[in-house]
Amino acid sequence: MNWRVALIAVAAVAAVALLVWLLQGGTPRTVQQEAVPVQDIPTPTPAPEERIILLFTGADGMLHPELRSVPLPKEVHDRIQIVMRELLAGPASSRRLAPVVPYEASLEAVFVDQDGNAFVDLTAPPAPLAGSSTELLLAYGVVDSIILNCPEVSAVQILFGGHEVATLTGHLDLSKPLVLNKRFIAQS
Amino acid sequence: MPILELVGAEVKYSLSAGTYGVVSDEHVIQFAIDHKVLLVDGDLIQAHETPVASPGGVAVSLEYLERYLLSPLGHHLEPVPRGYRIVRGARFADPVAVRPAVADFEVTTTLVLTLDRPTEAEVESSSSGMLTVRFANAMPHLDGSRPFRSRRVRSLTSKEQTVEIQLASGIGLLSWHALEGPPRVTMELGPARPTPTPAPVRAPVVRRTGPRPIVIDPGHGGDDIGAQSPDGLAEKELTLAIARRVARTLESRGHAVRLTRDGDQSRALTDRTALANRLEAPVFVSLHANASTFSSVSGAETYYMSLDSASDEAAAATADLENRANGSADERSPLDLILWDLAQAEVLNESAELALAVQGRLNARLGSRDRGVKQAPFVVLTGATMPAILVEVGFLSNTSEAQKLIQPDYQQQLADAIATGIEDFLRPR
Repeated sequence: MNWRVALIAVAAVAAVALLVWLLQGGTPRTVQQEAVPVQDIPTPTPAPEERIILLFTGADGMLHPELRSVPLPKEVHDRIQIVMRELLAGPASSRRLAPVVPYEASLEAVFVDQDGNAFVDLTAPPAPLAGSSTELLLAYGVVDSIILNCPEVSAVQILFGGHEVATLTGHLDLSKPLVLNKRFIAQS
Repeated sequence: MPILELVGAEVKYSLSAGTYGVVSDEHVIQFAIDHKVLLVDGDLIQAHETPVASPGGVAVSLEYLERYLLSPLGHHLEPVPRGYRIVRGARFADPVAVRPAVADFEVTTTLVLTLDRPTEAEVESSSSGMLTVRFANAMPHLDGSRPFRSRRVRSLTSKEQTVEIQLASGIGLLSWHALEGPPRVTMELGPARPTPTPAPVRAPVVRRTGPRPIVIDPGHGGDDIGAQSPDGLAEKELTLAIARRVARTLESRGHAVRLTRDGDQSRALTDRTALANRLEAPVFVSLHANASTFSSVSGAETYYMSLDSASDEAAAATADLENRANGSADERSPLDLILWDLAQAEVLNESAELALAVQGRLNARLGSRDRGVKQAPFVVLTGATMPAILVEVGFLSNTSEAQKLIQPDYQQQLADAIATGIEDFLRPR
């Protein structure tokens, strides 16, 4: 019996010792540090702030522009990400405006092909949407906001949940990229 | 192309569209020299070869002629010693499932053949007590899974593009109807009369009194309820109610009308336009009710097709099309788009006139907020080969407007305005 108690005690002491050693960081790792002259380290240049135009749904059932200054990178893919992030965040002004995407949505992916067609993948709506007005303002709010701020983009196709859709509420043809359409932007 | 004139088809060349149109009864085929894509009754088809220009007009292979030009018109080629002869009955017909049901009454029997897709059919009777249901462009497959017993119908057999029905002695065809929703052919059978095959009687609401019915499309239907009012009024119910009123109003004024649905059925958007194309409707009007994020938004508006290049975006869209035509994007779509766009361009101006006429009448009649005439690339208007509009009669998301829309009187006012607008457009100018 005694030798068993002694064995358990030795094991317990060893376990505690191992734990202490692990908490202290284990064996010191050798880190090979390469000497880099300070002046050669690339410093990220913040993107210059630019005024972008975003379109939101107004109480008259039309799109209304809102100007916003944000750091806007040069690369078109990144620009679209920024424009969409701002668009989905919703209007900042005090006027009666609402986001064009009328549900909690995020940008899942962006792709721009060589012909200037941008494909933006949004979260699918949690429940069916209705009305041609909802559909038109969502589509052209996104399409126009991207094209107006990204001159390299000539057309935008919106995907939902990673899928192409023929239409969202049964009216507008969303099966191919849409070009700029200012008809739904309020004139005032 | 005299060969197509042999089967009673008229061939027209559209200089602006650069396409040939073959028109026969309710069929329209559009094709173009050196293009593999063609339109058959509103459906885009990709052929394996192209028609080519020849000194005598247009040259196509025998297979192209039979498959794409003769078959849709219900004919095929049969080899004879010194060439071919054209025979009635399409060879390249798609299958259609036919489910028969029968009910014997005291004096008559009703026989219903329910089809799994809309298919043109005619019923002929012969003196030998045999009925032949002839499908213009489909190969029927009889569903024999259900028991079929009748004292007046002996047997049903499918044979090529027909279903042959052997009747009991002394029984004949009294009348037949081609109906929709679901697509079906119904036959009234009873004591034989010494009369020729009766003319088909169409469904009451979709009866055709003229050769080219106005097509009214009640938006949504089936699982697709569309928008909904705070009180639970579904857009699909409202559009059907108004469409029926428009149909009755127009019919009472002597017009033939056809509805794309006359019940709570799902209909593909492209099928709705295809029906109008097939019937060569003079006008296609799709009826909808709207919804908005803001409940304050109200009023009626009328849309006609936008090619998304119709105005200030023309250059961008043209470039887009050219890029696609160069094969740099979707390989299948450039010609489809161009053909559609060419067809659309011809009727765009007329669609705008129709939209203005209907919206004008709605404004004058309703006193609701005029949201005007607009353009949008709506699927249901895409590919319509006639003046086509989509009318949004009001916003169901607006409580007070929804309360008006549910009222039969208001629905009739809407129907009167829409019908009068259509008449304004159709009236010779």
